[in-house]
Amino acid sequence: MTEYAITTSQLAKHYSNTRAVDGLDLRVPRGSIYGFLGRNGAGKTTTIRMLMGLAHPTSGSATVLGLRWPEDRCAILDRVGFVGEKKQLFESMKGNALVRFNKPYFPRWSDELANRYARRLEVPMDVPFKKLSQGNRTKLCLLLALAQGAELLILDEPTSGLDPVVMDELLRVLVEDYAGEGRTIFLSSHNLAEVEKIADWVGIIDRGKLLLEAPLEEIRADFRRVTASGNALPGERTEQVVSVAASGSVREYFVRNNAERFAAELRNQGATILEVSPLNLEQVFLRLVKKEEPCTAGNTGATHAVASSSI
Amino acid sequence: MLVHVNAATGVPLYLQIESQVKHAVAAGAMKQGETLPSVRKMAADLRVNPNTVARAYQNLERDGVIRTVPGGGTYVAGNVPGLLKAEKLKRLRPFAMQLAVEGTQLRLTPEEVLKLVEESLEELRVKP
Repeated sequence: MTEYAITTSQLAKHYSNTRAVDGLDLRVPRGSIYGFLGRNGAGKTTTIRMLMGLAHPTSGSATVLGLRWPEDRCAILDRVGFVGEKKQLFESMKGNALVRFNKPYFPRWSDELANRYARRLEVPMDVPFKKLSQGNRTKLCLLLALAQGAELLILDEPTSGLDPVVMDELLRVLVEDYAGEGRTIFLSSHNLAEVEKIADWVGIIDRGKLLLEAPLEEIRADFRRVTASGNALPGERTEQVVSVAASGSVREYFVRNNAERFAAELRNQGATILEVSPLNLEQVFLRLVKKEEPCTAGNTGATHAVASSSI
Repeated sequence: MLVHVNAATGVPLYLQIESQVKHAVAAGAMKQGETLPSVRKMAADLRVNPNTVARAYQNLERDGVIRTVPGGGTYVAGNVPGLLKAEKLKRLRPFAMQLAVEGTQLRLTPEEVLKLVEESLEELRVKP
């Protein structure tokens, strides 16, 4: 047993002229619910495809439950439940038939779980896959992964296309039957409010590189918005200052750590600190991935409207 | 007991759970000896990570609000928090400051602000 469910080391995938994944180092602790976040095209799906052996890394390596592709292929497929980006199964098969088809491949398969999830996620089991709606296809894929009794679930956008009732039920299942049992869930999602509730670890990826990987509580405790007013306030981004926005003599700093000390330094320079407030995950995400927001010493006095219109 | 959490507010979820349990106990909605749901059950009901609930329960236990019997569930403790007076006051000070700031901003007199606090205490039927 290693302490990580997934690790990657300088993992990279280059297509002709794009670096889809560009030197990624992930550490996904066992027993965590890990939210893997990024914009469209950030490299989430490519990373997941490499973890599941569906794409070969250009360089670097990955372990899944301490195992490696391709030599541990069978063990990985036994122990990892996977729902990919394209929710695709045999077109003509019905849910019930797919359950019978999948069962012999997985030593820890549970018919009881399959029945339970069919009921709880309201999956029509006697309709051919091709006749199911997008949401029901997703649900059937999830059911098959969940009934597998996997130690690790890798889910690429599991909640896309689900109605709010089913999504709520799915979150309950994940928390109760997986996290509650000490199993690991690695999921990519654009729904930051949902991730903020159920995840305890977050990794944010942008342009194939990892911007941040930390326990969610740490992110909540560390990131702060510091609002200050005064003359000659610093306008540069630094290691500590993620972004700066200016409006008249007031500046808003997004600080990634030691906000109190940062505020104290500003105060020593004669600034008035108006507020130091915490940020939710969505605000942190937006500040980290919207890098191009301009605000340097060069445009001191630029209004907030001007700064944001040039994004 | 019904607890609700909202991830969008920026208030840490464990604090939301903590303050709602404290409120329920202070208001008498939960009595001494009453059981709380297990960490796993509460987490599933709220769709939040079990570690979040575990952290809230740890803090509540530290504050003497609840009592956990290993392997035997979680109960409302009902005893006085075993904290020094100075520590209790220190913990309340930020709330007092916020009340003072908001009160001043709204141009309320100190008497009016104090009256509000007294009324709130009265509502919980706690003698000042």
